[in-house]
Amino acid sequence: MHRRLVIILLLATIGLYAWPAYQWVSTDIRDSGRFVADPVPASITPDAPLIHKEFISPDSGEGIVHVASICELSQGRLAAAWYGGTREGARDVSIFFSAKGPGDAASWSRPKKVVDRMSASKDLCRYIKKVGNPVLFSGPGERLWLVYVTIAVGGWSGSSLNVTWSDDSGTTWGKSRRLTLSPFFNVSELARNRPLPMSDSGFAVPIYHECLGYFPEILWLQTGLTDPDIRFKKSRMTGGQSFMQPSVVPFGPSEAIAFYRSLSNEKTIGMAVTTDAGSTWSEPETLSLPNPDAGLDALLLSDQLILLAFNDSPVNRETLSLAVSHDRGVHWTRIAILESATGREFSYPYMIRTQDGHIHLVYTWDRKRIKHVIFNEAWIEAQIKGTMP
Amino acid sequence: MTTYVFSFVFPFLLATALLQSLAALSGRNLRGWGPTLVFGLIGAGVVLFPVDGLPLARWLISFNANFSIPLTAILFFRVVRVSFGIRLLDEKALLICWIFAITAGAALYPMALGLTRLDPYAAGWGFSWLFVLMFSFTMVLLAIKNRFAVILMAAILAFNLRLLESTNLWDYLVDPLLVVVSCIGLGCRVRRRAQGARHGGGARREA
Repeated sequence: MHRRLVIILLLATIGLYAWPAYQWVSTDIRDSGRFVADPVPASITPDAPLIHKEFISPDSGEGIVHVASICELSQGRLAAAWYGGTREGARDVSIFFSAKGPGDAASWSRPKKVVDRMSASKDLCRYIKKVGNPVLFSGPGERLWLVYVTIAVGGWSGSSLNVTWSDDSGTTWGKSRRLTLSPFFNVSELARNRPLPMSDSGFAVPIYHECLGYFPEILWLQTGLTDPDIRFKKSRMTGGQSFMQPSVVPFGPSEAIAFYRSLSNEKTIGMAVTTDAGSTWSEPETLSLPNPDAGLDALLLSDQLILLAFNDSPVNRETLSLAVSHDRGVHWTRIAILESATGREFSYPYMIRTQDGHIHLVYTWDRKRIKHVIFNEAWIEAQIKGTMP
Repeated sequence: MTTYVFSFVFPFLLATALLQSLAALSGRNLRGWGPTLVFGLIGAGVVLFPVDGLPLARWLISFNANFSIPLTAILFFRVVRVSFGIRLLDEKALLICWIFAITAGAALYPMALGLTRLDPYAAGWGFSWLFVLMFSFTMVLLAIKNRFAVILMAAILAFNLRLLESTNLWDYLVDPLLVVVSCIGLGCRVRRRAQGARHGGGARREA
């Protein structure tokens, strides 16, 4: 190369690297964000203990339903999403959506198919073999977000994540976008747990890797109010092959605890702590509570009380229980058994707390239906005191 | 839209290179604008041909959406070499490319797949040590006038323009297929040198 050309190329290189440096400094999507603690209403009228149970989806008959998530829409309405088909991982699996009007007495709308492999294939302009694991959450404004899994080849380890959104409470959905999160053919990334809102209007979406290693990660999703374009990155919570499906409970702008589904021989729930808004996490510890390699969910209530929904067995998903901790996960008190039946499965709990202070729990009911349980803190207090059956 | 259009480039080059290889088997002269134009048109037709509603190129993208810039460049240079006999990438640049890809792949993939708690892939999302490293590496290669520097410049340019679906710099620099190609390329080179040394040594002994 001629010397003059080399000088031009050297200058061009400086310019090419100056651009991303400037971009990153001016629009950092990660470091400016802090957790927004779960919106615990400032003053809730003391209620009588309340618990209400209902099914969202009709009986799936010979098929299955699984992996439900729920979120609050404007004016106290609710929306839920899950997947269903002839069997887990089948090609006919679709993602369903249902909404419910304000008030506990309102009923869920007839489930509507929002994504299947054909619509995902059309949106993403590529071959899609199957879809799965939807996570529904509401963002700034009226926007509703749906992160979901698609697979082109293989099983769950071939999963990639995609995102779509709706600005009309789920009536219509935007064109899905693929998220590249792994350097190895962009596979083995899945979502399952409740996203956390961040102070910069973004979200920390708990995700996990499932291939040679099994480990929890955070997808940092930055969304605009009007711009459908999104920015994202991910960070690892821990490595190894023992934990995944993190459920994250924020205690303040920088502090949070994560509870992990366990794949280890110990068969107990894992736990880790962050004090820098999720940038780094402590080494996982194990709790005294069992985990049969199944999803769980935790939620922050008043007075720093943590509510945990989990399968209370090291070997099966036949029992779904609730436990609480007053000391950030060190000690736990079992307060209720929501489901228990031999040979059945009650799994993948997912909880939110709505503006009226009610706690909404959805879960897979024997793979046949999605169940919705509504209760309040008064009911939890009564359970703790043992005054409720 | 730019990303979508660019996603056809690698499949197009691959189709053209395969057509050239097939034609070479018949012993035909492939050089010049005429054959190149014919192969290019057939290649474009192949990648745009719809199968089950998707252009054939997008079927390839379904399994790997991010073919790295060095791999795309190597394929482009191969097509140019066969078409016009011009070697845009010399042996020195290719050697650096092979070593770079194998080193990057060996560092990235095991850790990204969970071998360690550290995830180097996270460094590719925004300005980080990876950018400083690649900037320094490119400057050094330019200083020693190695042409692989131009490919690395193309990679950061493509990253700035978001030509790939990925928004991570790693995906612009390396991909699993490039690592495989590099291992084969480096293996062939080592074998050639070993054979050359054997033959050279033998000749000396005979002399």
